[in-house]
Amino acid sequence: MNLSRLSGTALQYAFLGLAAFLSIFPFFWMVISATNTSIDIIGGKTTFGDAFLANVGKFFTEVDVPLIFWNSAKVAVLATVLTIAVSSLAGYGFEMFKSKARDRIYSLVLLTLMVPFGALMIPLFMMMAKTGLINTHIAIMLPTVASAFIIFYFRQSTKAFPTELRDAAKVDGLKEWQIFLYIYVPVMRSTYAAAFVIVFMTNWNNYLWPLIVLQSNETKTITLVVSSLASAYYPDYGVVMIGTILATLPTLFVFFVMQRQFVQGMLGSVK
Amino acid sequence: MADVRLTDIRKRFGALDIIKGVDLSIGTGEFVVFVGPSGCGKSTLLRMIAGLEDITSGELAIGGAVMNDVDPSKRGIAMVFQSYALYPHMTVRENMGFALKFAGMAKEEIERRVNDAARILELGPLMERKPKALSGGQRQRVAIGRAIVRNPDVFLFDEPLSNLDAELRVHMRVEIAKLHKALKSTVIYVTHDQVEAMTLADKIVVLRAGVVEQVGAPLDLYDDPDNTFVAGFIGSPRMNFLKARIVTAGEGRVTVALESQPDVTLGFSLRTSAVRPGDTVSLGVRPEHFRPAGTGDADMVLDVDVAEHLGNTSYVYANVSAEERIIVEHGSFRGADGSDRLTVGLSAEKSFLFDEAGKRIR
Repeated sequence: MNLSRLSGTALQYAFLGLAAFLSIFPFFWMVISATNTSIDIIGGKTTFGDAFLANVGKFFTEVDVPLIFWNSAKVAVLATVLTIAVSSLAGYGFEMFKSKARDRIYSLVLLTLMVPFGALMIPLFMMMAKTGLINTHIAIMLPTVASAFIIFYFRQSTKAFPTELRDAAKVDGLKEWQIFLYIYVPVMRSTYAAAFVIVFMTNWNNYLWPLIVLQSNETKTITLVVSSLASAYYPDYGVVMIGTILATLPTLFVFFVMQRQFVQGMLGSVK
Repeated sequence: MADVRLTDIRKRFGALDIIKGVDLSIGTGEFVVFVGPSGCGKSTLLRMIAGLEDITSGELAIGGAVMNDVDPSKRGIAMVFQSYALYPHMTVRENMGFALKFAGMAKEEIERRVNDAARILELGPLMERKPKALSGGQRQRVAIGRAIVRNPDVFLFDEPLSNLDAELRVHMRVEIAKLHKALKSTVIYVTHDQVEAMTLADKIVVLRAGVVEQVGAPLDLYDDPDNTFVAGFIGSPRMNFLKARIVTAGEGRVTVALESQPDVTLGFSLRTSAVRPGDTVSLGVRPEHFRPAGTGDADMVLDVDVAEHLGNTSYVYANVSAEERIIVEHGSFRGADGSDRLTVGLSAEKSFLFDEAGKRIR
């Protein structure tokens, strides 16, 4: 191996090493910090400490853990199921039914991707206030249900769905909704799995909108609670990191359980 | 089993006419093949019969009942698709029984029908497999099995063999022919492969640009084509067309001379008297109808370009002139050199004559 090739390889490894470090360090820091006291963390200690159990104890004392988990799980699962149901139906419809208006409407849907959430926040808040939904979980879920990105994702994936399957199902006597339910959904299960992972993570980690509409402690989700711990007058970072670890676990679990399907879904699910 | 009748069937997509008025009568138990080049409307016509495309105008009747607006599942048809269209998440058994289960048939009856079809198609060991674990030929058999279990009045096949390799295609062709013989059902089969059409059909419907060019038994189309399109489409390798000119005409007889070799002349009795000396015509000669030099009505000399030796016979690609290239089937040709010349005989009896518009005049 000549020198220039060797230095090229070294450079590649150095770059990849840096990228890996930047990706992994926050997790490492999170885990290390969960075992240390706030003073150690601020002091920059990067080794495991002995305050883990104390931090866990404090977290469980200060926070109603079952309640915030229940709130987060309820919001994330329901919003995910609703989003996928609505958006996959829309994606299927956009791809399967040909009409002159179709592409115009689709362009409008895609256009909503360009509108930042900041611009929608106040009108959405006013809508929720007028309908009396402030401080309810429905207020968090409703704006996410028709997701332009997920509609786009399903429409693109539906292009790979063989139209002859739909024809065969029609000859077999299925109505359109039955074709969707009994043929399309099972055939596209990898697409659904990938969409589930994406939407679940987005909903579980959703912070800004819940912060605006959820005002009582009984309705708050885990992200809001952890954030409020961090913004206390004297934040106990060890306890905050326990909360962060707990908040991360469900998304990690969902991702690892559905990893294979997720990758397949992102590559195109029809085999 | 049922007959199928199409009366002035038309299909329009926007401003585009795809099917331009098809009249066709398909008898009970008949095996009819729609054949034609890509885009001729044969698959659209089949899909209209299946109910997968709306009929713009005209009338479709299956078993005497008008079916224009009837749901596909209630037309008494079953369809086999080009890509097989097996449900990938179901086993072979589930695929075959799905339509019956959906129609609310009793479990025992479904089981009996599926097992009967599996026996006919020798699918026994594959019944619990998913389609992805099957070969192309096996998938095709499952697709046919799925159609059989429905016990349809009419089977519709949409280019079912075009995804298979050459050897398997021949095998499946024979299987489909045997199946038709056993079931004696009405079959409408779409293909662009004229060999499939010739070997399977009781009746061939040749389509071009949404119009039926000719309907007839395979050998009738081969022996008696109405125009250059049918003559060129039926027969493999395709018929050669040589430019010729009417030299003499009178009392139902004409003499024609090849444009490229004016000394080569042939005499014909005509179906029509609408030709005059000087008119341009096409002389149609199938590759297999050239004769050894000196044994026909006239001889012509060719410059050999390429020869394909198949063992039992050879196909010689030769130039009649700089513009005209023909294929000659030659039983004993051994030369392969580009500089070879070949003299072949033409027989008026085995040749066809077409007018300038391509219509057969003899």
